[in-house]
Amino acid sequence: MEIVALQILNSLFYAAVLFLIAAGLSLIFGVMGIVNMAHGMFYALGAYVAAWSVGVAGSALAPAALFIFLPLAAVAVGVIGLAIESTLIRPFYRRPEEYQLLVTFGLLLVLEDVIRLVWGGTPLTASALVDSLGLVQIGGLPYPVYNILMIGVGVIAAAGIWAFVYRTKFGVLLRATAQDRRMAAALGIDVGRIYVLAFGLGCFMAGLAGAIVVPTQAAVLGMGVEVLVIAFVVVVIGGLGSLEGALVGALIVSALRTITIQFWEEIELAALYLIAAIVLLIRPTGLFGRKT
Amino acid sequence: MDKEKLEERRGFLKQFGATLGAAGLGAAGVGSAHAQAKPKGNIPDRPVKVGHITFLTGPAELLGGPGQRGHILAQEEINAQGGLLGKRKIETIFADEAAGTDANVKELRRMKLSENIGLFTGVISSGNTPALGPVAEELKLLTLFNDGCTDFLFDKAVPNPKYTFRVTNIQSADGITAAIGAATHWPKARRVASIQPDYSYGRNVFEHFVLALGKLLPGTEVVSESWPKLFSTDFTPHITKILAAKPDVLVVGLWGGDYVAFYKQALRYGLFDKMKVATTLAFGGSPQAIGKDHPDGVLAGVHANYHFLYPSAERWPINKSFVERYHKRWKEYPSFEADGAYVALYLYKQAVEKANQLLGGWPEDEAIIAMLEGAGINSPAGYLYIRADNHQGYKDAVTGLSKRLPGYDFPVWDPASIVSIPIRSITAPPNWPKPGQGHNESTAAADWIKKTWPAARSA
Repeated sequence: MEIVALQILNSLFYAAVLFLIAAGLSLIFGVMGIVNMAHGMFYALGAYVAAWSVGVAGSALAPAALFIFLPLAAVAVGVIGLAIESTLIRPFYRRPEEYQLLVTFGLLLVLEDVIRLVWGGTPLTASALVDSLGLVQIGGLPYPVYNILMIGVGVIAAAGIWAFVYRTKFGVLLRATAQDRRMAAALGIDVGRIYVLAFGLGCFMAGLAGAIVVPTQAAVLGMGVEVLVIAFVVVVIGGLGSLEGALVGALIVSALRTITIQFWEEIELAALYLIAAIVLLIRPTGLFGRKT
Repeated sequence: MDKEKLEERRGFLKQFGATLGAAGLGAAGVGSAHAQAKPKGNIPDRPVKVGHITFLTGPAELLGGPGQRGHILAQEEINAQGGLLGKRKIETIFADEAAGTDANVKELRRMKLSENIGLFTGVISSGNTPALGPVAEELKLLTLFNDGCTDFLFDKAVPNPKYTFRVTNIQSADGITAAIGAATHWPKARRVASIQPDYSYGRNVFEHFVLALGKLLPGTEVVSESWPKLFSTDFTPHITKILAAKPDVLVVGLWGGDYVAFYKQALRYGLFDKMKVATTLAFGGSPQAIGKDHPDGVLAGVHANYHFLYPSAERWPINKSFVERYHKRWKEYPSFEADGAYVALYLYKQAVEKANQLLGGWPEDEAIIAMLEGAGINSPAGYLYIRADNHQGYKDAVTGLSKRLPGYDFPVWDPASIVSIPIRSITAPPNWPKPGQGHNESTAAADWIKKTWPAARSA
């Protein structure tokens, strides 16, 4: 039964990554009301920046020191998010939703090409990080310690985000703005600033997801688009705008994926969309979504 | 490899006429530069417009990029000599195959009707050639597909091609080549696991590999099948499943970024220590894409087409010169897509020159087609032959075991392990019934193998 233990761990690792992406997406929507079609691209940027910086510094630093580039990449992506929000997204707050969708979709296309121009078509990797931590034997089968560490990171991130949103003053401001923007503004909250920071935070989380995942895979062109589709399924199931929903949705999607791969892979995609359809029928706003 | 095993392997391959090791070479002609005959008649000096659609973005860019670079290299070389017949330079219009099949069809029409291209090349995806082939026939547009190797193109979509040709080996040869490579190097393998991208290519590789291996080795059985979505990035659940099934050999049809992610993840789980791995496209993208952590001893397929180390430089100067010029121009080594795109233009040039010698002036498409059917050309990969009945290109299939050698920043082939198979041993002969003409196998090759290959005798 070691295989069950391993598959559970595989599932948790994938869920951790999905949670970070989906939580970022939900945060941006919850606070700003914007569906960020380009969200997957920040995940890709996080992966590329992390892999590139590890590659550049690889020979100069010890592997343990290379880990610093993961959060650094996430911060870099967060900063890029701040810059993009103030220039591209802000002008569209008052416009109808279709404009916002178009702008973020256009941003997706532009960022895809920017990545290709800057880093080219060859996959970038950062395997040194995974190698440095070695393997642990689980019932006779090897499993990378790195993955277990990153599951831990996912748990800490979930706890951290929850604490940030529900236990800090800024979190109160965030939730107030999300609930009722006009009232928040009337009470003197600088809504514009909240928006910028929420967007930056959402991008940071997506970038962190990309940075975490890249040592186990590779940064390839198209990864942003691939992940966006799954992220949307997660938020549909969990409810757009809800952090608990992102967590539960990520766990469900990841578990479903692992189970179908183990037993009947061909229905993997169909099963995923089927669950999403069922959730939409029973609870249209998602399992934890708010009725707006 | 010790001497005894080596002789066993060579004996095994004799049934295909195949050779082991870099010393082998296809039988037909060594490259000879024909003295350039002077073009006859009046040749206009308008440039020839060529259309080329390939993957310029997205994960398949790893294959499309080298294809584009091979094409440009050939174009520049031909233009440096004044162009086709010394007078007509080639101008290429590129478009991105990643736009999708519908968009590609529209773009092909636009290229022909608005831009008036005289030749169409490129196309990597097997989803696109069966869609574009019929359109090219309808538009009466001379077409040399560089890839999109699916058997379906000439089995069903364009069964009587006039304007459509394809220069790279047919898809069914890929799985069969991997099976022969696996049976040669690991003759004791019996339990087979598979991980394939879940689309037509993956299905084709799985079917032909299992079919061929079943005939080559006695008592093989499939113990595990995995079908990840194309362009997946996380293969860890599949790897766990495969490890639990304890196979002897794993056949892998993943390519490009998928394969990079797969082998890195598989390394962590120690998969390469627990089973042999036979791939069809591990070295199919740009050679530099695979890192130095890639294990040795993996059957690293090149779509049964071309690896820059074979034929070796001493035996086949055409390859040596091609690799040098490509490396000088692009600072990288060529992949099979680069070779295919490069050869396509030279094949066209050769056909144009022959037709011109016979008829004078700039040849009509009919004349060029007549010169392409049955054409042979010495390409960097070896001798390439275009069969007249189905317009499909045939050249010897190759595969080899990966090895990290000094002098390269990326893994290459162990020269002693290279298996070269005469293509007629692994493809259905002309006039073999196509699917729907008396049988319902997925390809003519599958039917041919089932009906004509003898089953392996238990050792």
